Amino acid sequence: MVTVAHKPVRPRRAKPSRGRRVFQVCNAIVLTAVVVVTLYPFLNIVARSLSDENAIRSGQVSLFPRGFNVETYRLVMSDAMFWTNYRNTVVYTVVATAVAIVLTTCYAYVLSKPQLRGRGVLVGIAVFTMFFSGGLIPHYVLITSLGLKNSVWAIALPNAISVFNLLVMKAFFESLPVELEEAASVDGLNTYGMLWRIVIPLSKAVIATMVLFYAVSFWNSWFSAFLYMDRSELFPVTVYLRNLIAGATGGTSVGASTENLQVAANIQSVTIVLTVVPILLVYPFVQRYFVSGVTLGAVKG
Amino acid sequence: MTAPSRRRVAAFAAGLLALTLAACSGEEPENNDLAGNRVGAMSDYAVGKQFKATEPISFSMLYNNHPNYPIKKEWLFWSELTNRTGVTLESTVVPLSDYEQKRSLMIGAGDAPLIIPKTYPGQETPFVASGAILPVSDYVDLMPNFKDKVAKWKLEGDLNTIRQQDGKYYVLPGMHQDVWKDYSIAVRTDILAEVGQPVPKTWDEVYTMLKAMKAKYPNVYPFSDRWHKPTPGGALFNVLGEAFGTHGGWGYHNDQWDPAAKKFVFTGATDQYRQMVTYLNKLVKEGLLDPESFTQDDDQARQKLATGKSFVISANAQTLVNDYRPDLSKNPKATITKIPVPVGPAGEIKTGLRLENGVMISKKARDSKNFVAMMQFIDWLWYSDEGQEFAKWGVPGTTYNKDGSGKFTLAADVDYVKLNPSGTKHLQKDFGFGNGVFAYGGRTELLQSTFSAEELEFQKVMATRQTLPVPPPHPFEDAEQEQATLYDTPLKDYVGQMTLKFILGQRDLSEWDAYVAELKGKNMDAYLELVNKAYDRYAAKS
Repeated sequence: MVTVAHKPVRPRRAKPSRGRRVFQVCNAIVLTAVVVVTLYPFLNIVARSLSDENAIRSGQVSLFPRGFNVETYRLVMSDAMFWTNYRNTVVYTVVATAVAIVLTTCYAYVLSKPQLRGRGVLVGIAVFTMFFSGGLIPHYVLITSLGLKNSVWAIALPNAISVFNLLVMKAFFESLPVELEEAASVDGLNTYGMLWRIVIPLSKAVIATMVLFYAVSFWNSWFSAFLYMDRSELFPVTVYLRNLIAGATGGTSVGASTENLQVAANIQSVTIVLTVVPILLVYPFVQRYFVSGVTLGAVKG
Repeated sequence: MTAPSRRRVAAFAAGLLALTLAACSGEEPENNDLAGNRVGAMSDYAVGKQFKATEPISFSMLYNNHPNYPIKKEWLFWSELTNRTGVTLESTVVPLSDYEQKRSLMIGAGDAPLIIPKTYPGQETPFVASGAILPVSDYVDLMPNFKDKVAKWKLEGDLNTIRQQDGKYYVLPGMHQDVWKDYSIAVRTDILAEVGQPVPKTWDEVYTMLKAMKAKYPNVYPFSDRWHKPTPGGALFNVLGEAFGTHGGWGYHNDQWDPAAKKFVFTGATDQYRQMVTYLNKLVKEGLLDPESFTQDDDQARQKLATGKSFVISANAQTLVNDYRPDLSKNPKATITKIPVPVGPAGEIKTGLRLENGVMISKKARDSKNFVAMMQFIDWLWYSDEGQEFAKWGVPGTTYNKDGSGKFTLAADVDYVKLNPSGTKHLQKDFGFGNGVFAYGGRTELLQSTFSAEELEFQKVMATRQTLPVPPPHPFEDAEQEQATLYDTPLKDYVGQMTLKFILGQRDLSEWDAYVAELKGKNMDAYLELVNKAYDRYAAKS
């Protein structure tokens, strides 16, 4: 359609060849199919979360809710503990992401300097942890002995540097022209000044990407919190919801009332919606940098 | 996806640590002197006596947090418990969803709280070798109520089944006065009346009933069953197995105790097992039992029942009320009930273990100066009549009332399992009683105090059935255990497959002898020899 609209304005441009049009049509069909395939499950989940459990069980729910029901939302959200844990999730995500970004950026920047002595060893140390780990119990003992249990640091510190993210960032910094920093140094900036005033402003794209990666992973994580938190008011919402699902689908406990069974059928979808939506809202804001980052890289080749 | 692999890692790590710890703790001398551990303990604690610590003490405990009644600090349970016993419990809260994983981790890391409840018999085994768990059987002398119930209810045989190789047990199990039967079959009573049949009392009468239903509705399979996971026919074969004097379905295991011969025989090759299979084959052959019963999902089976495509299905008290009745509510004529378990060739009997999940204790508790008080406290809360009543029902006058005949009623404003729907507060959610961590087992009267009138009728019939003694244990040595597992699983799988083939008519029952010969080819005899050798050794020791 765009092509049609612009045609008179740009007469010099050759009429799209037959092959190209076939390609565009196919492209549109395939991409539309991809959109449908990726969007459908999500819409289905939203519909399920608003449907009656019987309708879900008999497989009537596809794109639109059947037997409209917000009981599960009401039940989940009426619990004060749900909100406490939700707040924890936000706090843990923000703190842990902030820590992770600072540490990852610093480490990656250092590693990107070819003149650094012992750089290979530093990279090796990081990469080593990608393949080997001390195991669960040593980890637990370490965190416990450091006195980090029952605090946000138990979640933030052990996961502060993701080696994959580190390597991506390192590659990005390496691709920045050395001349910029040389010029800055001639103008009298020290290393930190260079990082702060030159490198970081130029790296918004990669930083935004990393923020997104880290935030999503901290938002979704439950395992560290489950390991290191001993009181229910310290759990993030993921642990809360996970337990809720277990209780609703266990079903064998004497005393499961009909109210709980109502919950059982659509609780999973409610859970998914409740945990996905906030992080989904972050996406568009970060997306801007993300896209410009990609094109920036493309132009520079 | 990461969860199972992490769980495996945890289990592996726990195992590894267990090995190392076992290596270190081997030479510790046994110390039976409790003089230094009596702080806070009562010197005259006994059955019928309220435990009250002589000074305020607190114990750490692992707490399994149930999402239906999440833990609250302001529960009456906590304050009243401290009031009565002088003990404060400090809970490490673990979500129910991953309780077992955190428990292994904390025990493995040596960081476990002193009291570890909600441990099912068998779950303690991986921790035994590590020496991190107290062999509680050495200390039951500190627990008069526990000992009293074991003696009164003749639970010694049941307890023997949880003894480890060293002859000790490491978990204090929940104990029931009688075997509790819940599973049976549910029958559409309106159809029963329509075809003019009484409620069947035996499995032969069940056959007659299904026959009559089929005559009236030739196009339906009157019996279409659920619960095919993880074992096909899990519930039905389990119930039938008992009636025929063998084991089947969920309850299947390869060794069956033969009390006459005083040795173990191979379950899947016994005559009783063949009779059970023959009976089921007859049902399938005559179109009375839906062949899809062993492959369909629970929901499909429920759907068939709901739409009148079947009239009979396996049931327990919960599914009757929570599944079948609501499913059938669209049909105003339909009535359904769980019938007393039909009797089979084995007669009016019931079998089963009377043990429940219970409490493990960290070994390090033994060194606490409050150790004796702790054991007395556990004895009072989990094993005394008063403690059990408190944990389940709460405080008389506040949450419940009990009349002269011992009948429990909830307080006017309290609800629990819909016994008092007008109550605005919830016994579990708002008061912390009826909590699965503290309240289970106990006297039949107490157990049934929350049952509906209908379920009580069922239980009344079941109470007249004679409880058979528990088969003796045959604890393996480590090497034997490994060997036995190698034989056990393929045999079990093969019996399962062939059971279905025989029932569905894919293999003719005349080939039974050939089937037994195939079992022999899969080391049936070697397996039995291991079991019987282990049993003989156990019998000689005790």
